[in-house]
Amino acid sequence: MVASRLNALLNACLPVVFAIFVMGFVWEVAVAFGEVPQYVLPSPSGIIAAAVQRFPQIADGLWITTFEALAGFAVGSVIGLALACLFLLVPPTRALLLPLVVALNNVPSIAFVPLALLWFGMGPASKIAIAALAVSFAVLLAALEGFSRTEDGQVNLLRSFGANRLAILWRLRLPAAMPSIITGLRIGLARSTIAVIVAEMLGAYKGIGQIVYRATAEMDSLTVWSAILVSSATSLALYGLLVLIDRRLVWWQ
Amino acid sequence: MNLPLKCSIAAIAFAAALVGGSLPAKAAEAVSVRLKWVAQAQFAGVYVAKAKGFYEEAGLDATINPGGPNINVETLVASGADTFGIASGTEGVLYAREKGLPLTCIGMSQQMTPFAYVAYDDSGINSVKDFKGKTVATWMTGPQFTLYSVLAHEGLAQSDANIVSQPFSMQPFIDKQYDVATVTLYNELNTLKEQGINNIKIFLPDDSGVTTQQDSIVTSEKMIAEKPEVVQAFLNATLKGWKYAFENKSEAVDIVMAAGSGLERKHQELMLEEIEKLMRAKLGGSEGLGAIDMASIKAVHDSLIEYKALNTEIDLESAFDQSFWAKVPADAKSM
Amino acid sequence: MKRHLPLAHPATALVMATCAWLVLVPLLGVPPRYLPSLGRVVADAISVWPELLNSFLRTLSEAVLGFLAGAALGIAFGVAFARSRVLERSVLPLFIALQSVPVIAFGAVVVIWFGNSLLSKVMIALYLSFFPVAVSTLRGLQAIDEKRVALFLSFGANRMQVFWRLALPTALPSIFTGLKLAVSLSLIGAIVGEWFGDTVGLGVMLLQALYFEQVERIWVLIVVCGLLGTLLYGLLAFIERKYVWWRPA
Repeated sequence: MVASRLNALLNACLPVVFAIFVMGFVWEVAVAFGEVPQYVLPSPSGIIAAAVQRFPQIADGLWITTFEALAGFAVGSVIGLALACLFLLVPPTRALLLPLVVALNNVPSIAFVPLALLWFGMGPASKIAIAALAVSFAVLLAALEGFSRTEDGQVNLLRSFGANRLAILWRLRLPAAMPSIITGLRIGLARSTIAVIVAEMLGAYKGIGQIVYRATAEMDSLTVWSAILVSSATSLALYGLLVLIDRRLVWWQ
Repeated sequence: MNLPLKCSIAAIAFAAALVGGSLPAKAAEAVSVRLKWVAQAQFAGVYVAKAKGFYEEAGLDATINPGGPNINVETLVASGADTFGIASGTEGVLYAREKGLPLTCIGMSQQMTPFAYVAYDDSGINSVKDFKGKTVATWMTGPQFTLYSVLAHEGLAQSDANIVSQPFSMQPFIDKQYDVATVTLYNELNTLKEQGINNIKIFLPDDSGVTTQQDSIVTSEKMIAEKPEVVQAFLNATLKGWKYAFENKSEAVDIVMAAGSGLERKHQELMLEEIEKLMRAKLGGSEGLGAIDMASIKAVHDSLIEYKALNTEIDLESAFDQSFWAKVPADAKSM
Repeated sequence: MKRHLPLAHPATALVMATCAWLVLVPLLGVPPRYLPSLGRVVADAISVWPELLNSFLRTLSEAVLGFLAGAALGIAFGVAFARSRVLERSVLPLFIALQSVPVIAFGAVVVIWFGNSLLSKVMIALYLSFFPVAVSTLRGLQAIDEKRVALFLSFGANRMQVFWRLALPTALPSIFTGLKLAVSLSLIGAIVGEWFGDTVGLGVMLLQALYFEQVERIWVLIVVCGLLGTLLYGLLAFIERKYVWWRPA
């Protein structure tokens, strides 16, 4: 039992690890042969060494950024899901608000960064707000798409048993929409991290975005890239977590 | 399947037309100038030189690239992505050389430190020594080094003050989110005055013994080695542009307003006046615009070494190449 | 029979939003630092309309080109992943990691490699948009009922026919979900790309409005970016309605 689980884990990890190694190797060789200067693009070995060395400083920023991204992700997901449920339960709201929401969310979230900085200050609140905005649309769209997957036949069947709208939503549509919602969540997570880092670059006291911003100005490319590396690794880990939850909770497909 | 195919063909044709339409004519030497910030009167000389055709006369087809929040002029010029640049300042050049960037400074725009630190009258801060234990905000794109130097000169360690990154906006200072903020004499200080904020104390780095030239004109070692005549032509034309800008301020502001977006005329006029003071001060007045003050640079260098902000001795003669400036004709640089 | 996603008329939204802005701002006394009155914003927009129009067209072209390239690449990869588990297991996580690398962070490298041209914006837009398309393509293809495939094959269809007539049509709704997300990401990419020191574009105007703290201009740009985003999204939704009106039954 354990052996087969281990086997499965290895099977999952090995291709990724191999691919990463190949990519790293190509990068290292390209930098060496192309004589690319370190201040333009450091080699992977240099970046990893720097990341290890500077980890304490980077970890400080990483903690803030991850917190902001996750908090924004959580808030945005809840809002997106809540709106989708509202649109389903009270159809007039959908006709009225969906175009407005679509228009609002078609404004690139970064265009709201100046406003967010103005309204919520330079602290984490503004970054969370921007991340939530970026995520909510992804989740809303995915949830609506997922809700529409339910067969009318099944809906009618439940209705004939006396189930009301809420019950149908809870017992039928929501479970059926889960795969779609999870896809929305996956994409939302990536968007929220980007939004947070952009906001941090324009105005923040701490965070990965600030570390990158300062290091860029100080021509410290190793720090820039190690910060990127650490931040990406964390995003990847979070994504993996999401996939794990996906497999556990949504085991039916 | 026809629609996607038609769309793809249209897209490719569209792209080809765009690329084709933007290729420059192959007459003059194509160069680019990277600015350290977005278009404003701070760079009037460069914009005027382009608009009045000084670059063209000098045989250069110059493209002006503004700065941005996440790009660094020194890096772009050293790597060759941009030919020339208006970079941060003395400290920036020194740090670039320490990091091995093949960057050389060929002129210095501002002859006096353009930064100042401001605190509210009622904050209890009466001198730089009072910065201790307070929240001091500064920009981390170069001016932070001036702050470190000032603190060091006043006997404070960097850790004595809570130094935070100042964003582009003065709003947090207006909202009293930090005790001390950094301003430039030509921009943010005017902004504060425009908003009616006059109950502030101003601390000049020069009073603490820190004078640092800013807005360095830089190029790569490669350019100097391979095309020195282009470097000379560029410097001549740029300084000529500055001279014209100061002699024809109204026209210069017109040119800058046309080049930028979201600029306010009054603010730009004030900026240009202040920039003129900074550029014509000291050597700028006695010897000419763009002069490199080696004495001041040496002082900054030694102070950075002493306070361990800089860890390698830099060869100042090769980092700051005065030969080009020396050859700029007097009518281009003397006012 | 499935219900598909009907979008209410965009005109309704526009009318509603305009009314709300016109009425609520003076009514609630919202400070102009947060939300200026509609009149002032419109006046500001009119004062710079040539620059605004130029910027609009420029950003539009960057976003569209980046989106088309990203969509093509994304679909290609999605199909490749559906075909090969090995590829999916090794390359897809790499893409996920790449997606979480903030492209804005290595701006200098992008400018050095692609210059200050249209190409660098297109590359960034491509980078941001291809991933959601790849993932949704993969998901869409994976959701195909094996029994259906078997049915097709039993009637003598070859792999190509199965792909074009069964797999792709079944996956299209899912692909379109990805495309709709990708188009907004490519707009973000175009705008962020313009922050690397460009001279024309909505992103350029936004950056300058930000630095000079011109709240009215910021709102003008928010509205214009919203219009651009809605235009692109609406175009996709229109195509979806016309060609993808069925849902997997």
